[in-house]
Amino acid sequence: MIHARNLVKTFTRNEKKNKKVEFNAVDGISFEVGEGEIVGILGPNGAGKTTLLRMLSKLMKPTAGGVSITVNGEEITDDIEIKRHIGYLSGNTKLYGRLSARELLTMIGTICKMPDEEIEKRIEEISQLLDMEKFIDNRIEKLSTGQTQRASIARCLIHSPEIYIFDEPTLGLDIISSAAIIEFMKGEREKGKTVLYSTHYMEEAEYLCDRIIMLHKGKIICDLTPEDLKKQTGTDSIRDAFNTLIRQEDMGNES
Amino acid sequence: MNRKWNQKVIKTLFKKEMLDVLRDKKTVIMMLVVPVILYPLIFVVALQVVASVATSMETHTYNIVVDCPDDGRLMSYLEAYETSETTEDLTQETSELSSEEGLSDDNASNYSLKLIDKKDIQDYTAALQKEEIDVYVTAEMKDGKMNYIMYYLSSAANSGYAVDIVGEVISVLQKDLTKQEIEAAGLEVSDILEPVSFEYKNIASNEQSMGSVLGMVVPFMLIISLLMGTMYPAIDTTAGERERGTLETVLTLPVTNRQLITSKFLTVALIGIISALLNILSIGGIGLYMFKVMDLGAAAGVGAGIRLASFVPAILITIVVVLVFSLFISAITMCITAFAKSYKEANNYITPLMLVVLFTGYIGFLPNIELTRGMALVPVANICLLIKNLMLFKLDYTLIFLVLVSNVFYAALAILFLSKIYDSESILFGEGKTGLQLFEKRSNMKKGGVPTTGDAWFVIMLAIVLIVYLGGILQLKYGIFGVFGTQMIILLVPLLMAIYTKKDLRKTYSFHKTGILSFLGGILLIIGTLFVGILVSAVMSMIFPESAGAVTDAFDGIMDNGVWISLLVIAITPAICEEMMFRGYIYSAMKNRYKTVTAILIVAAVFGVYHMSIVKFLTTGLLGGMLCYAVYATGSIFPSMLMHCLNNMISVLVYYYPNEIGKVLPFLASETLTLGDLLIISGGGVLLMAAGILILNRVRKNRIAKETAGENIAKEAAGEN
Repeated sequence: MIHARNLVKTFTRNEKKNKKVEFNAVDGISFEVGEGEIVGILGPNGAGKTTLLRMLSKLMKPTAGGVSITVNGEEITDDIEIKRHIGYLSGNTKLYGRLSARELLTMIGTICKMPDEEIEKRIEEISQLLDMEKFIDNRIEKLSTGQTQRASIARCLIHSPEIYIFDEPTLGLDIISSAAIIEFMKGEREKGKTVLYSTHYMEEAEYLCDRIIMLHKGKIICDLTPEDLKKQTGTDSIRDAFNTLIRQEDMGNES
Repeated sequence: MNRKWNQKVIKTLFKKEMLDVLRDKKTVIMMLVVPVILYPLIFVVALQVVASVATSMETHTYNIVVDCPDDGRLMSYLEAYETSETTEDLTQETSELSSEEGLSDDNASNYSLKLIDKKDIQDYTAALQKEEIDVYVTAEMKDGKMNYIMYYLSSAANSGYAVDIVGEVISVLQKDLTKQEIEAAGLEVSDILEPVSFEYKNIASNEQSMGSVLGMVVPFMLIISLLMGTMYPAIDTTAGERERGTLETVLTLPVTNRQLITSKFLTVALIGIISALLNILSIGGIGLYMFKVMDLGAAAGVGAGIRLASFVPAILITIVVVLVFSLFISAITMCITAFAKSYKEANNYITPLMLVVLFTGYIGFLPNIELTRGMALVPVANICLLIKNLMLFKLDYTLIFLVLVSNVFYAALAILFLSKIYDSESILFGEGKTGLQLFEKRSNMKKGGVPTTGDAWFVIMLAIVLIVYLGGILQLKYGIFGVFGTQMIILLVPLLMAIYTKKDLRKTYSFHKTGILSFLGGILLIIGTLFVGILVSAVMSMIFPESAGAVTDAFDGIMDNGVWISLLVIAITPAICEEMMFRGYIYSAMKNRYKTVTAILIVAAVFGVYHMSIVKFLTTGLLGGMLCYAVYATGSIFPSMLMHCLNNMISVLVYYYPNEIGKVLPFLASETLTLGDLLIISGGGVLLMAAGILILNRVRKNRIAKETAGENIAKEAAGEN
């Protein structure tokens, strides 16, 4: 389970002349994601999705507010300890091209305090699951895009995290690769893991998510199940609901 | 447990970094191929070249024309060279005295002379110029003595060699004649020619002689090889990681920044040490080989009977020093490369660092610079000096301790700084705006705006380098017009850069209209600044009495060209060129990024440094700051141009018309001023400055009020639409 409490992230942007403009990329966000739940974060570009997910996975420090996780009924607030229980994947988390997948996974396992025998066992398990046996000892730079993607997922899995945070994991992937990721997320939900992910693909979110959180200009504008969301906006699809909500927000800001 | 865990994490990360770096071809090439293959290869090629040059020397024949109709003596001496194979035999035949010196050295046996009949040569200068002949000798009677004149062409190497040979032949002739005279008078030759004798005895041990040679070579070699060795791993683990996008991956791991940096730092330092050791081994091996095979040691008077054991303490301490120094170099290099987002950018950043490190290392080689407690704290130079001392068997343990501690301290500081960088999200995730635009694709550059600070620093560096080298040559050759050329450098470097990077020139150079009040305020401010400057420069001349004289000397040289040219070159040109660079290009870049006060201070400091004189630093800095304030207040560069022109004009006029100026403002032309005078003058100066600043501040307020009003009108107009 992951808790976000009133998260704020302020950036300064140099605008023309001497003016340094401060703005809140994330502006007071609170929510929880429970075990066995998949929550999708939707929002237009610049809404603060990536910043929010980076703060949740402890890559960035929030300007205000806090993050904590609950694992086996125990609340954890320490940054390093939180990282140990999170599997984070984004378009920016590339792999070390000059290492093999096995070397990379062993390193991460060691750093996550796993005993050596367990790491070996886990690597076997994952490579079977993701069908990586053929290329697990090759250098990552020599792998195909699909193979690299699988190695990336393996990287998030190796330390058996309780919580997955994915930033646009299916962006730019073909149908087969993205289907594999979607299936993977569904499988982890069955195992009672917590999954939080951002996407631009509305249909995917509608199919997969238990709850949808929409962000706009750093604020949550809705936090509902897909059904409730459609009902509330009176639309048939999440896509329409999204457009309606964003339009409402923009009009509300102007008047 | 916790510490153990911490070590395990660092060890794991370190292992990963090492694997990653060692599998990179570039690093391995730098580390292995250069010292192990390239150095010996260069050495072999160099040997070949030397050998081939030596052979060509041996077979060389020099063409000599002797045109001395009344004197056959020289001819007969030279003819001896023409036939003989080696000159040594000849000198022994002709003279016992001369054989001990001059002609008996190694070069002398590598040539033969060819005497050409003077009838074949009509015009000896033309023949010399065409290098058909190498020396033309003629003779005339002068004060009852025969005077030989040798014509040669100093720009041709062969002619230079040949004239030396002929000169030596003549001196042999001279000595033989002297000998004959002395013998004819019935005296003992050696008593007359050598009434006293002397010899040199070197009391330095062989080891010391060897050490002094090593002390010159080893430190520089170490610095360069460490720098080269750490460069690529430093770039790879910092900028390279960002470029490949693995930084965010590693940040998701449950590791602290300290652990991350420590592992990276250890990797860079280790690779640096390995490559430095390989370099030393390789060059050392080549050196030993040369000693043995070519017997150079014997020739140089060192090498024979050297007990290597005596170098052991020095070598052991050197190894410790190298270890510590590699920590320092690694940390510094990483600090620089951590700012870069890509390999290319990191390479750009590292070049100035290399120059600074090499230059500081060079301090260690200047004569008269000794390792003192103060010098022990100067990074890089302290290492050079320490190793030099070690090689000369000067072991001062306090100094060794100080050098080691200061290096560890600097390395620690650099690591602290590095962890600050890795804490800074704006550097890790940010886009960065300070980068140098010059290296971007021109088509990617946005039109308009003002220069970045990266551009500004680049322009400052480039301009200073050009001024020192190109400007120096221009001024030496063309005097006052060279000064004009220097000003053109100052004008053109930023201007071309601004055009190339598609900047808004009007904005960059603050070419804006301004009212009469701005100029009035500027004039008051600059006269006030000039008065205060008199006090400041008086104080500075007291602190640095020697440099004060040098400044006036240089000034006099320029002033010798008449008042009008002096005014043009010293007052008007700098007012335009220097203002456009400092208050235009640099100020606009700085104020876009920093607060106004910081921007003005930077411009003032750069302006002070640019004048390259400690004595003048404060006065020019003050002047630069005030000129900059005028630009800030009026929003226009024209008042500061006028102010600068006025300031320089006054010095020119004081030089040319000291009496006239003395009548109006006696203290400007006066050589000696009492403390009371100085205080009164600078007091008046402060008042004038205050008045000027008040006026300029009013200009500024009016301008801002006008601008906001203008903006409001524009907004209203937009609102109505």
